[in-house]
Order: sequence, then C-alpha cells, then structure tokens
Amino acid sequence: MTRVFGDQTAVDHVSFVVRPGRITGFVGANGAGKTTTMQMLMGVLAPSSGEVRWQGAAVGAVDRRSFGYMPEERGLYPRMKVAEQLAFFARLHGFSAGDARNRATELLEFFDLGERSEDLLDQLSLGNQQRVQIAAALVHRPSALVLDEPFSGLDPLAVDVMVELLHTEAADVPVLFSSHQLDLVERLCDDLIVLAHGRVVAAGPVHELREGGTEQYRVELDGEDASWLRDVRGLVVEAVDGSVALLALDGLTPADLARTLTAHGPVVEMARVRQPLSQIFREITR
Amino acid sequence: MSSPTPLWRIVAAREVSTTLRSKGFQFSVASLLLSLVALVVISSLLGGRAQTQDVAVVDDVAVTAVEDGSWIAEDLTGNLTLELTRYADVAAAEQAVTDGEVDAALLPVAGGYEVVGDDAVDDPVGQALTTAMSGLVTTRNAAEQGVDLAALAAGTQVQQRLLDPDAEDAGLRQVASFVFVLLFYVTALTFGMIIAGSVTQEKESRVVEILAAAVPIRALLWGKIAGATLLAVGQTLLLATVGVAALLVTANADALGVIGPAIAWYVVFFVIGFVALASLWSVAGSLASRQQDLQATTAPLQLILFAPYIITLTAGEGVKEVVSMLPIVSTMLMPSRLAEGDVPLWQLLVAIVATVLAAVVLVRVGARVYERTLLQTGRKIGFREALSSTRGQRAEPMSTR
Repeated sequence: MTRVFGDQTAVDHVSFVVRPGRITGFVGANGAGKTTTMQMLMGVLAPSSGEVRWQGAAVGAVDRRSFGYMPEERGLYPRMKVAEQLAFFARLHGFSAGDARNRATELLEFFDLGERSEDLLDQLSLGNQQRVQIAAALVHRPSALVLDEPFSGLDPLAVDVMVELLHTEAADVPVLFSSHQLDLVERLCDDLIVLAHGRVVAAGPVHELREGGTEQYRVELDGEDASWLRDVRGLVVEAVDGSVALLALDGLTPADLARTLTAHGPVVEMARVRQPLSQIFREITR
Repeated sequence: MSSPTPLWRIVAAREVSTTLRSKGFQFSVASLLLSLVALVVISSLLGGRAQTQDVAVVDDVAVTAVEDGSWIAEDLTGNLTLELTRYADVAAAEQAVTDGEVDAALLPVAGGYEVVGDDAVDDPVGQALTTAMSGLVTTRNAAEQGVDLAALAAGTQVQQRLLDPDAEDAGLRQVASFVFVLLFYVTALTFGMIIAGSVTQEKESRVVEILAAAVPIRALLWGKIAGATLLAVGQTLLLATVGVAALLVTANADALGVIGPAIAWYVVFFVIGFVALASLWSVAGSLASRQQDLQATTAPLQLILFAPYIITLTAGEGVKEVVSMLPIVSTMLMPSRLAEGDVPLWQLLVAIVATVLAAVVLVRVGARVYERTLLQTGRKIGFREALSSTRGQRAEPMSTR
C-alpha cells in the first residue's frame, strides 16, 4: 500500500504478511508510517494505491467488521457505563444483546473490573480505562487484531496481564501490534516488521533477524588469556578482552569450536551471540 | 454470531438511552410539560373563572332588579353573577360601597335609580343593572297605563347572526398558532443540538475511530438521525397528549375541535421537517472538533430555524402563504396557518412534497460531507471547505502519521 498526503508520501509501497497464530511486532521510529498503515488496514483511511488482502482476497467490509482494533488515539464514550459500553461494541460487531452482555462481563472479570461494570468510564483510573480499551478491541472475539501501541502507559504488571490475555484470546488469529518498547516486542513477538521512512526495511521471524549475518560466538575461558585463539584456523577473532573473546566461525562448526576450546583448557562459557533488537533496530533504520 | 439487528438501530438505541438518562434532557422535558400545562390552566382560569359582584340595595324594587340583573350579567359575560345585600338606608349603602364591602349599589333618586360605585363600576354590572331596572319599571308603568307591552314591543327585537362563528375562537387560534411555532423552534433546536453534540462528543473522545472501523459511517449517521427523530417525535407526542389532556380537564374541550386537526398536521410536518434538518445537524457536529466549536458550526442551522420564527411573527398574510410552502420553513408555518384558519389542501401537499424532496437531497449531501469530515479531528472545519474537499477519499489522518 501507498499513502500520499499532499506532496508527502507517508507510506511507500509497504507490503507484508501477518500470519494467524503469530504475534507480529510493528516497529519503527516516530513518523515512520506505522499508524497510517494500521489505519489503512482497518479501513479508517483509504490507501492512495494498493489494497489489503484477507485470506487471499481483497478485504471486504464484513471481514473488517470481524477485526479488532485499538487505535493510537485512545477513546471510548466517557459518560457511558463500562459494561454497557463493551456490550454496545460487541453488538456493533454482530453479537446478540444477551451474548454481548455475557461477553462484557467475562472480559471485565478477567481484568478484575467486575465490580466497576456499572461505573461510568471516566470514573475509572487511566490504567483501568486502558484495560477497558483493550477489552473493547477483544470483545467480539476478533478474527484478527490490529493494536496501535497497546502497551503504552501500562505498568509492567498490567502488561503481563495484557500479554496473558492476548495469548488466551488471540491464540489462533493474526495479531499485528506496534510498539516502541523493543524489549517487550522481543519477548512477545514471533515475527517482526521494521518500518523506516514509510518503507519496510526488515521483516521476518524475530529469531532469524536476531541471528542474521555471520554466526558470532562469545567465549570465556577460565582465567587464561584468550589471544591464542587468533592462531586457530577456521575462525576470525573480532575482539579479545582478557579471558573473553568474540569470534565469528569461518569454516569451523560449533562442535569443532567446542572441542578445540576444551582440548586447550577449562572453559567458563561458549554462547551464540544474539543481537538485542534495539541493536538491530538502530542498524537497519539508520 | 451474526444478528439480524441492523447497525443503525443499535446506534439509535444507544443515542436514545443516553439522551433519556441525561439529567439536562429530563429537566428540559419536565419544564416544557410544566409550562404547557400552566399555559392551558392559566388561560382557562382567566377566561372561565366564575365571578360574583356584590350590589347594595335599600328597597324591594332594587331587589328584584338585581335578581333580574344577575341573569342578564351571566348572559352577557358567561361567568358573572350578582349578589345582593340589603341596607337600612342610602347612607349605609354608600358607606358599604366606600368601605369595599360591596362592589356597587342600586339606589333610588328623584325620578329613578342610580348605579353607585366607589371609583368605577364594571361595565357588565352597570349594563345589567340598568337594563334590568329599566325593563322592570317599563313593565310596571305599562300596567299602570293600561298599555299592552307585547304590542308596544312588537318588531323591536334585534337578534345576532354570525357569518363566521369560528372567528369566536380567534384568541385561542392565535395562541395555538404561536405555540406550534415556538414548540417546533424549541424542539428542533434542542434535538438538533443533541445530534450535533453527540457527533462532536464522539470526535472529541476519539471513540469515532473505533466506530468507523467497526461500522459503515452511514450507519452511524442513520442511527443518530433515527434516534434523535424518535426522541423528538416522542417528546412532541407527549406534549400533544398532555396538552389535549389539559384542555379536556380544564373543560376547554370545544377548543379541541378547533386546533385538533392542526395538532395532527403538526406531527406530520414535524417528522419530515426534522429528518430534513437532522443530517445537517450531524454535519455541523462533524465539522467541530470540540464542544466549544459547536456554537460556530451550528450557527447557520440556528438561523434557518430562526427565520421562519420571525416570519410567523411579523410577515403579512400573502408572504406567509407563499413562504409556508417552502421546505423546512413549512414545518413551522403550516401548522401555525392551520391553527389560524383553513389552508387549501394543494398548498399542504406542495409543502409536504417540497420538504420530502429537500430531506432526500439534504440527507445525501449531509451523508457525503459527514463521511469526509467525521475522522478529521483536532481542528474546526468550514462548511465551504467540507463541501469542496476531494471526492472519494475517506479522510485525512487523525493524527501524526
């Protein structure tokens, strides 16, 4: 999809796939085009060109009605009772009046908000309002979830509850969520899409992105200086600091390396280096 | 999982229940009802209250004259009767008038009688006493002179015949006509502002983005129009019912025959006139981004409502007749003209067809503008800009992208 505002291209030929049963993280700097992309996914904004496809065909209004959405701009009816509000959204998505009420109660109880169900939304604390907002996105058992910064403004405990909810409620559906909290994305996501300046600069399973490039190992010997590794063939030593070395394999297998190390002396640790997402993020969006 | 309930009805149901529960709305309905009942009761009290005037007398002739005069007074006014009090002499009777114990006195003087008051005598009282006394004395004189009074009076009878008996209710008709205009003005304004306010509230609270993702924007618009129309018609019917009941209870039942048909037409005109305007109220709401903007964005609509209000109060018959067939304006003017007198059927039909056509056009234009402007938050949008914005595009983004 592409979206142009005036002479600015906010989203430039962005194309990616979100798979069912997998949580896909959507990261990028401010202004990279995440929110615009998500609004186009939900049909709130029309793409200048391109289309959204659902299960192999162009997405229709009925398909979209089954999606769950949490916009970046939070908002529900401030002067409406919490349970009634959730039931209203469930009904808009096709639930019968009775099912809608039951579902609203179920979600509120999950968040320990059962006793507040008759309160007006703006009588709740901001954190609780945020919970209700997530509940509103999940209330109709969506067939897909699009969550724009769902965890911003939540304390770590609330994030844990939310993550648990995502795992139980959206286990089989495609979930796309954007976030600035890379540690959280790292913990939660199966797949990752990185956006920069309106384009996709990296996409794929998180573990592949993190292990991408050359295979690096960190080696720590028991007290012995590690500089002798420079003379071993089939590997490249990238850095040595006392008994610790960072190497890239260049012909040796990991098993060969392990044998070579233990044959030479006692070893404290040998571990594959996985780059933190923040590192990858900085490199590819530079 | 699918339910047969159309989306617009779910939206409408929310609008209705939210509005019904609002304290401001309950207060406004209650005060409207109270003023209507008060209007009927007060006008009935002023018009039909039984009145008694006390008259002092000192002789038997005057006693008979006051008794006869009481009948005449009731005939003249419909609600005035005379009570007599006898005093010993003229001085005592005059004292009673001065002290306010009685309203008037009928006292003998040389060559006849006089009606004595303190600083004034009510017209009907004076007239009734004079007529009664002169009839009484004429009869007595005729008997003394041996004159056949019947023969003497033959041919002197003057009767009244009314060519337009309805004109008798002119006062009532005028009040009713004014009430219709005022009622439409107040109701259309109240519920128009409710629609606009509810749209703006959805923009202001940003819930609109979730709504827009869940349902077609037109379903939102239809739901709002349907909800507000239902409430407005409900309130109108409630007021009509209470008004009719108040007329019946205060024994003004014959007034119903006069303004009953006008009430029925009023409901018809109200529904189509209100629907025609409803989409414009939604647009006014969608142009604002905060409640504070509403005064400005709803100003043109307030003007549309205010113009016929002024016309009704000031314009001449000819202007009214033409203007009352224009769409929307007819909603206020037609029932008011109907209350004042007969309106040719063709003019009613022209007014209805014109308003229905206007409703169709306005709702379509309104829906298009509403779709374009609803998702633009953060600033107020002008009417001209809204109408000229690019076709086919749904909306600009709501925030930083």
